[in-house]
Amino acid sequence: MAKNKNRKSSASFKENIAEIGTTFKEGDLKTRLSFIIMGIGPVMRGQYVKGFAYLLSEILFFWYFFGFGLQYLSKFGTLGNVETHTENRLIVYGDNSFLILLYGLLTIVIIAAFIYIWRMNVRENYLEEQKLKKGLKLEKNSKVLGSLLDENFDKTLLTLPVLGIFVFTVLPIIFMICVAFTNYDKQHQSPAHLFTWVGLKNFKSLFSFGGNGLGATFGKVLIWTLVWAFFATLTSYFLGILVALLINKKGIKFKKLWRTILVMTIAVPQFVSLLYVSKLFTDTGIINGWLLKLHWITSPIPFWTNPTLAKVMIILINIWVGIPYMMLIATGILMNIPADLYESAKIDGANGWQMFKSITLPYMLFVTGPFLLTQFTGNLNNFNVIYLLTQGGPKSMKMAGNAGETDLLVTWLYKMTVNDTNYKMAAVIGIMVFIVTAVTSLIVYNALPSVKDEEGFQ
Amino acid sequence: MSAKRKFTNIVSYIVLILISIIWLFPFFGILMTSFRSYKDYGGLTNYVIPKHFSLDNYKFLFSNKTKFLQWYGNTLIIAIFVTLLQTLVVVCVAYILSRMRFKLRNLLMRTWLILGMFPGFLTMICMYFLLKQFGLTQSGAIPGLILVYVASSGMGYYVCKGFFDTIPKSLDEAAIIDGATRSQVMFKVILPLSKPIIIYTALTAFMAPWCDYIFASYIAFGHESSYNVAVAMTRWVWTNDYQGYFTRFCAGGVLIAVPVTLLFMALQRYYVEGVTGGAVKG
Amino acid sequence: MNKKVVSVLMAGALCSTMLVGCGGKKAASNNSGNAGNKAATTKKTELKYDGEIKVWVADNAVDFTKDEIQKFQDKNSGLKNAKFTVEPVGEGDAASNMITDVEAGADVFTFAQDQTARLVSAGALEEVEAGNAAQLKKDNDEGAAKAGTVGKKMYAYPITADNTYFMYYDKSVVTDPTDLDKILADCKAANKKFYFAVDNGWYQTAFFFGAGCKLTYDTDDKGNFTKCNIDYASDKGLAALKAMATMAGSGAWANGADASKATDVAAIVDGTWDSATVKQLFGDNYACAKLPQFTGGDGKKYQMSGFSGYKLLGVKPQEDADKLAVCDALAAYLSSGDVQIDRFKALGWGPSNLEARKDDAVTKDAAMMAVFEQMKLDQTQGQYPGDYWTTAEGLGGDIVQGNITASTSDDDLMKTLQTFQDTCKSYAK
Repeated sequence: MAKNKNRKSSASFKENIAEIGTTFKEGDLKTRLSFIIMGIGPVMRGQYVKGFAYLLSEILFFWYFFGFGLQYLSKFGTLGNVETHTENRLIVYGDNSFLILLYGLLTIVIIAAFIYIWRMNVRENYLEEQKLKKGLKLEKNSKVLGSLLDENFDKTLLTLPVLGIFVFTVLPIIFMICVAFTNYDKQHQSPAHLFTWVGLKNFKSLFSFGGNGLGATFGKVLIWTLVWAFFATLTSYFLGILVALLINKKGIKFKKLWRTILVMTIAVPQFVSLLYVSKLFTDTGIINGWLLKLHWITSPIPFWTNPTLAKVMIILINIWVGIPYMMLIATGILMNIPADLYESAKIDGANGWQMFKSITLPYMLFVTGPFLLTQFTGNLNNFNVIYLLTQGGPKSMKMAGNAGETDLLVTWLYKMTVNDTNYKMAAVIGIMVFIVTAVTSLIVYNALPSVKDEEGFQ
Repeated sequence: MSAKRKFTNIVSYIVLILISIIWLFPFFGILMTSFRSYKDYGGLTNYVIPKHFSLDNYKFLFSNKTKFLQWYGNTLIIAIFVTLLQTLVVVCVAYILSRMRFKLRNLLMRTWLILGMFPGFLTMICMYFLLKQFGLTQSGAIPGLILVYVASSGMGYYVCKGFFDTIPKSLDEAAIIDGATRSQVMFKVILPLSKPIIIYTALTAFMAPWCDYIFASYIAFGHESSYNVAVAMTRWVWTNDYQGYFTRFCAGGVLIAVPVTLLFMALQRYYVEGVTGGAVKG
Repeated sequence: MNKKVVSVLMAGALCSTMLVGCGGKKAASNNSGNAGNKAATTKKTELKYDGEIKVWVADNAVDFTKDEIQKFQDKNSGLKNAKFTVEPVGEGDAASNMITDVEAGADVFTFAQDQTARLVSAGALEEVEAGNAAQLKKDNDEGAAKAGTVGKKMYAYPITADNTYFMYYDKSVVTDPTDLDKILADCKAANKKFYFAVDNGWYQTAFFFGAGCKLTYDTDDKGNFTKCNIDYASDKGLAALKAMATMAGSGAWANGADASKATDVAAIVDGTWDSATVKQLFGDNYACAKLPQFTGGDGKKYQMSGFSGYKLLGVKPQEDADKLAVCDALAAYLSSGDVQIDRFKALGWGPSNLEARKDDAVTKDAAMMAVFEQMKLDQTQGQYPGDYWTTAEGLGGDIVQGNITASTSDDDLMKTLQTFQDTCKSYAK
């Protein structure tokens, strides 16, 4: 499969070059001019909308490239070499490695996009010439514009979202991946200092064990992240189904009331509810206060300061957050289970548990498989619950790099960014999070029984 | 038989009541703390019911000693704009991906899926400097935040697309045979059928900005008048500059939670439809 | 088909980046334009500036600072049109914001002295102007001047000298505030707590320094840490660590140094910033004292010591000479003796200025007197890498979590101390 694709694309690359060649060789003057002045061919053939769009993009490109992009691109290899210094107590800023990296990348992407547009411009000329040779008429300009609301409606609606995602998601991610290969940290903070490329050094230090190496800590945090995501997902899932079954049981009244009570946790912003809950369980908080007053305990239970207890508490409190979602979902799905399945099971003399085991659960698992996967990956990156409850604490000498016992990879990453301004390691951790998420998703996804044909539903 | 059912029902009620107590207790606690008078104490205590009830904390929030109302207004503005724009973007993207087939469709969907696997906080520093170049940090943080929330919202099309997928394609085809353009199909045929999912999308979009205390604080960069409520109020709990602000935190929490919860309850039906549909479709 | 649209898309991308481009270039040309200005020696010339100057102080100091800046502005006619903005950004946030993005940060800001080296190495602090530096050294106590110094250069203006901890206690519970063992016994008898933040590198030193240990870092002029002087892995360190573990196991101890988050308090090791809260907690039984003695793991009595620190005012490196002159003058004004007395009266922040300390208002305050008494026993806090604080948190965390208790063997304790010491040393290069 993959091989086939590769061959196809490499062939099409050759074809592309060949087509560009023949277009130039056999093309008329209008076409040849378009190789340098984009869109001039279509304009001369009366295709004003297309032609001017090409022309405009070429002008904008050169304006950008020579007015702005080039100065950053030229320093991209070193990320700058002019140090910031002071003269007479006044600061003279030198190169800004951060901006060089960011705009260098942007310029590279824009050059690639420009080459693509240039290629389309050549193809456009080629097609127009072919059409005219065959004696066909070219499309009217009004029709070209009108198609944007019809067969080209996708381009109209997707342009802005795609652009937005490019600028605020794709570019920053590429940028941070690059940062993982630099020494951008608190000692190399732009604009006061330069940073530069260091190759794989940061990855090596993440996997260095012994001494102050981050290896052991990374392993611990990773394991806890996986353990947490596993338990958080499963407990909420099964308990949510059970609560849904309970509320939907025949003979239970006020169904809407019970549901509404549970749904409160979804509606109230988490930073209010979870921060309050975290304070409930402090050494001097309400829960410990009550237990002390009742003389059930003599010293406060270290809910947040004992690592194991803190981890258990986080998972328990996450159930509080997670059950309502699952309850809502399960309620909807449970109603869809064909009633006759239960009827015939009853006739066979099955009890409630057996029916749950052999009918309800398999059905739920089949239908909500992909949802379970997204819940799991969501929990791998569940920042709010951890950060609002423990902020990653408690701390221990056993953990390096500012990590706490309950830190997930993502909260550790956050701390590195904000508290330590250790961007290079944050970037490395971010890449690790991506790898972990991608790998687990792939494994789980392929194991799902319900990976269905998307078109099958339509 | 009926005795047994009665028994299990009683057990079920007991369990449900217990669950309700556990679920409601924190909200009860927040409400009670918000009424605790300064005469008691403004920090943490180990009792729930205040010794002196008062409206001190609410009076404080509405006074000019704090910018709470401004923060509240900021959040409301952000939430409204994000709701409008994000719903528009999500519906457009979901419609196109559900209804049209074009060359880069699969590539686009796959890329977005992969992008979603990167942790959001990774790019925080980069976003900050990007926004700063446009003057959208500090005093410009509010439009900046709106831009960031909306810009990436196209990637959250799944649930909405899942809904569109269930609308039969024959409707579109019939309309196109009648001479409608794609845009007309969208606005005149599909969207009128999609009220539940539009409300669901809008509701989730509206609720998110109330809880952003990380990115919003990064972008505001110490400029107090561009804080949102979450940024300002988490500082009351986490920063030592604010001693004895816990009761005020709870009062502020109540003021946020009440309208959001009411809105949520009113639109709950659509929300349930949305999450259920999303979960089933994946 | 999709050509047009990609080109439209490109055009959009280009447009938006052009905007960026313009912004970037403008800033760049500013840089070079001002570099040639050599008017930085503006000591006696009149201040003149029309632009904006941003100041960051803690939330509760905003109104006070605004008033003082108004007075400063009134005194200098050249600043009539200057726009001063005061924003509430506390010391901790100010430091981390300044480090994240110097350009967007405040021109004048307050920070705690332990951040000095970090701020200098991030390029967020301008050297104090020579004339001001001489004056500051003369007016303030020695430690205050030292706190703002990195290597041989002075980088900050001291404004307070109350950044130390002492003990607040409830007179009705604690009978003898000079001895830790007795305090713990009294607390236990009354079913109340003695609060001490074990998991905090700042408070921890009360025990370690008290037992005679030392922990300091040397820095060069640029704020890089060059050497760590530490002897925690010794009998003295062992005595201190054991004493902490014993205290933790006493049943009357609670971890923490934040009065507003403490309950059932009989005594708390805390600073002046919490005095109002504590007064509210203890009412008529409110009392303050220097830190008590403790019994070391070796059975000897030691007097608790600790860090004494200062709040400082910093000026950000500037590109414009006029602006720098105004910032220098403003910082000098806000750190002057008179303003320090006013600040004490308004906010209760203890002055570092020697004259201001003799003011009646200061000498009458119980907490302030406890501070000055404790400071005699303290070591002036120098510069510590950020990692020190997290490492110390880890060490204390092990006590809080019960990984280290009074019954842990000496060998294991020594091993922990050795790791701690090695880790601290590894932060200096």
